[in-house]
Amino acid sequence: MLRRLAFAPALALALLAAPLAQAATFVFTAIPDEDETRLQERFQKVADYLSEELDVEVRFIPVNSYAAAVTAFRNDQVQLAWFGGLSGVQARERVPGSQAIAQGVEDAAFTTYFIAHRSTGLEPADTLPEEIRGMTFTFGSMGSTSGRLMPEYYLRERFGVAPDELFSRVGYSGNHSRTASLVASGAYQLGALNYTAWENEVEAGNIDPEAVRVIWQTPTYPDYQWSIRGDVDARYGEGFTDRVRQALLDMDDPELLASFPREGFIPASNEDYAPIRETGIALGLIDE
Amino acid sequence: MRYSPTVRTTLGFIALALLCLWFADLSITTVDPWRELTRLFLGLVQPDFAAVDFVGVAILRTLAFAFTGVALGAGAGLLLALAFRYRLTRTLCAFVRAIHELFWALIFLQFFGLHPLTGVLAIAIPYAGIFAKVYAEILDETDPHPARTLPHGTGWVSGLAFTRISQAWPHLVSYTSYRLECGLRSSAVLGFVGLPTLGYYLESSFAQGRYGSVGALLILFYLLIATIRLWVRPRLLPFYLIAAPFLLGGGMPIMWDNVARFFTEDIIPAPLRRGEGASGLGPWLSDLILHQALPGLWNTLVLTQIALVLTGALAMLLFPLISRHFTGRLGGTAGHLLLVILRSTPEYLLAFILLQLWGPSMLPAVVALALHNGGIIGHLLGQRSNQITLRADAPSGLNRYAYEIVPRLYGPFLALLFYRWEIIMRETAILGILGIATLGFFVNSAIQEIRFDRAMVLILITALLNIAVDILARRLRAHLRLRHSVQAQGC
Amino acid sequence: MSQLALHDATASYGDRAVLGPLDLTLAPGERVALVGKSGAGKSTLLSLMHTHWRQQGVALMPQELGLVPTLTVFHNVFIGRLHTHPGWYNLITLARPFRRDVEAVMPLLARLGIADKCWSPAGELSGGQRQRVAAGRALFQAGAALLADEPVSALDGPQAEVVMTALTEAYPTAVLAMHDLDLALRFCDRVIGISDGAIAIDQPSLRLSAGDLLALY
Repeated sequence: MLRRLAFAPALALALLAAPLAQAATFVFTAIPDEDETRLQERFQKVADYLSEELDVEVRFIPVNSYAAAVTAFRNDQVQLAWFGGLSGVQARERVPGSQAIAQGVEDAAFTTYFIAHRSTGLEPADTLPEEIRGMTFTFGSMGSTSGRLMPEYYLRERFGVAPDELFSRVGYSGNHSRTASLVASGAYQLGALNYTAWENEVEAGNIDPEAVRVIWQTPTYPDYQWSIRGDVDARYGEGFTDRVRQALLDMDDPELLASFPREGFIPASNEDYAPIRETGIALGLIDE
Repeated sequence: MRYSPTVRTTLGFIALALLCLWFADLSITTVDPWRELTRLFLGLVQPDFAAVDFVGVAILRTLAFAFTGVALGAGAGLLLALAFRYRLTRTLCAFVRAIHELFWALIFLQFFGLHPLTGVLAIAIPYAGIFAKVYAEILDETDPHPARTLPHGTGWVSGLAFTRISQAWPHLVSYTSYRLECGLRSSAVLGFVGLPTLGYYLESSFAQGRYGSVGALLILFYLLIATIRLWVRPRLLPFYLIAAPFLLGGGMPIMWDNVARFFTEDIIPAPLRRGEGASGLGPWLSDLILHQALPGLWNTLVLTQIALVLTGALAMLLFPLISRHFTGRLGGTAGHLLLVILRSTPEYLLAFILLQLWGPSMLPAVVALALHNGGIIGHLLGQRSNQITLRADAPSGLNRYAYEIVPRLYGPFLALLFYRWEIIMRETAILGILGIATLGFFVNSAIQEIRFDRAMVLILITALLNIAVDILARRLRAHLRLRHSVQAQGC
Repeated sequence: MSQLALHDATASYGDRAVLGPLDLTLAPGERVALVGKSGAGKSTLLSLMHTHWRQQGVALMPQELGLVPTLTVFHNVFIGRLHTHPGWYNLITLARPFRRDVEAVMPLLARLGIADKCWSPAGELSGGQRQRVAAGRALFQAGAALLADEPVSALDGPQAEVVMTALTEAYPTAVLAMHDLDLALRFCDRVIGISDGAIAIDQPSLRLSAGDLLALY
């Protein structure tokens, strides 16, 4: 009888597992960066476009963290992903043969804005001022390139110490818009965020430009890119990787591109991201 | 005058909390929170239901995860309860319930991905540990006589069903249905780590500052919890249970290779994985413990201690609001409403709102934990005070509070507070995900950096800490001879 | 059925011996009344017998009755035959009883005068009704022998008569602890008097009168 009782959960698990056995659908994801609203709806259009171009069923899966995107890519639950610079490197390190195939026009020379609350009295300058020592500071998400990796790198380069020694308090807001709102409210005196996210926030009127201003921008670095698993040619047909790349490069519908948001896509390769990888290793975020 | 052990313990706890205040970072750093807060407030009073897409689906998933997870947990818990006399079972249960459902979800996310199984198991596993413990206590309290009259040759299952389980049935049902309410909260909160429940939309609406949607989602969530007695009916339950597994939605396919990889690769400490052997393990572990585990542990302990004492103080202040000895009908209704809101708002959410208000320090977490838990204990104390019958010429007002009610409630109050100690500690760890440097912060960082070996060590340390507090609380309860039924103590 | 016997049986609470050592044999078809004042050891002796003879299929009706208050009268009576059905059958019965079992239980309840209570939870009944439910369970079990501790203590004269008749008809072999000496002498053919944990009297009931037994009290 006990055995019979034990059978019930097993049956439930089997039921859960039932919808899994599906035909080879091509699945992609995109890291959440700015507007998470109607993520599914907006990216469904991208999925429809890819499906038409590639002639396979394409599905979009939403995720809400960088780590989740990397894990899904590594677990082969998605085959294509729109990653940040750092998350792309982390993902490709873990999936042999995977490659960066395209990046946004803006991503070849991306930059991070350092922003400050009015009360700090800081002015825009060519370098980060000494006065920021002892202030409070927030990064964005821990796994973000523009919200964490690059700002930390330039802070260390400029001041020679780790952020938590430099500032009286260091936070991780979770994402770029939250960084903007936390600095705007004065919860943190300083913050660092993706420049496109900042411009969107200002444009949408969520930020009072009187309360917060940009005080410095980092030198440029490569950021977001499309990465694809190495085994897709074997699974979806010879030359599939090239067809996906072409489909991405050919994407010119502004409505689709607005989801990223990019003006268009240009080719990219793993080598383009070597500086990001080295920075990641230097900061101890990537194990060699 | 000599103090009783109860008073001495209370004073000791307060002194310790005051000492912790000295170490805690409780500063208010925001200078200009009003713009954001005005928007938040406007959003809450003008909920925008149209802005929430897929909200029907989100509610459906929240319910499906809760029902399936709680049902599996209850089934497994019952089986475990029957074997609860074995130390192995008790240890296993203590261990699985010491790990918060959000941590379980983060673990399963690594190899199941965003699959329904992740959410279901994240609820079912810790709940099984809790169910096992409480079910075992309920079954132990049944009258042993009926079992003696069973005819010789009665099967084990028949005997159990007709004597002990039948006797305990009303208690089992009421405890299980009350856990279902907890399951709904858990299910909603799982959205914060990416599962498609209400929490997912709450989190993203919050992150984007779309407070109209936040208001709408919160109102839906309160409605769901407040009306639970109306739509959870014994007759409808089988229907819900059968339907729930089919409403979990799809997800990315599970690959069992990933599960194997997680256990044989991901969680193996990096030096061992790289083949450095035991010599590399020492520095790796000491670095992890010195720079993450110990600071996290310290902050968790400090925060918990302050939150615990504040929770107690708040509960003692709040319970008269719903006690018939102090309030009339109208005041009582308002008091009830306040306590319902306090206890059904996930502390995670409260902390997040307060973080906006006061900036990043321990203050938002302390106040959020105290409000939520104080609401729960205040509610239970109020209910209990309503069972007290006072003599006709009893004093009123403050004298009634100090001389008649509090002395009678103080024992149950301490018992409840000690029961919640472990829960407060578990929640403290979880609030780390918001950026307060408790153990949860370091667990989350490790996971964001895709270093599960570190995350596992930190989760283990968190679990051991919770078990230690549980044991300490039990000792204290025994020492002070506090007895109180565990069956209703809030999620 | 083989003979039921106790040899050198003892019982103790902690270090204190409360019963025995004593020897006792119960022949098939023999109905024994256990008498003696409260605390003499009647209940202890009965439970000792139950422990020793349980495997031979005796039915027990303890003083505290052993009813499950949350189950209906029907289910409490049905417990008497749990051992004759497979587990799944019993579990289904918990949710929805089979008609043939209801048909078997109903006449029994009618005889005991509690047929109208068939679907009431046992916990909602009066003391006398509960005692009749426990008797019903023992009757339904139809075991090899009956061990009953004060089976009619909560019943008035006519009801006690009905229950005693039913029990003794169903169980030719029985040990009944009784405080009503008249009933004991009328329904049993052997009387064992217990005093200070030992057997003080062991006589056929024909040779005894209520007066002879008063010496025990």
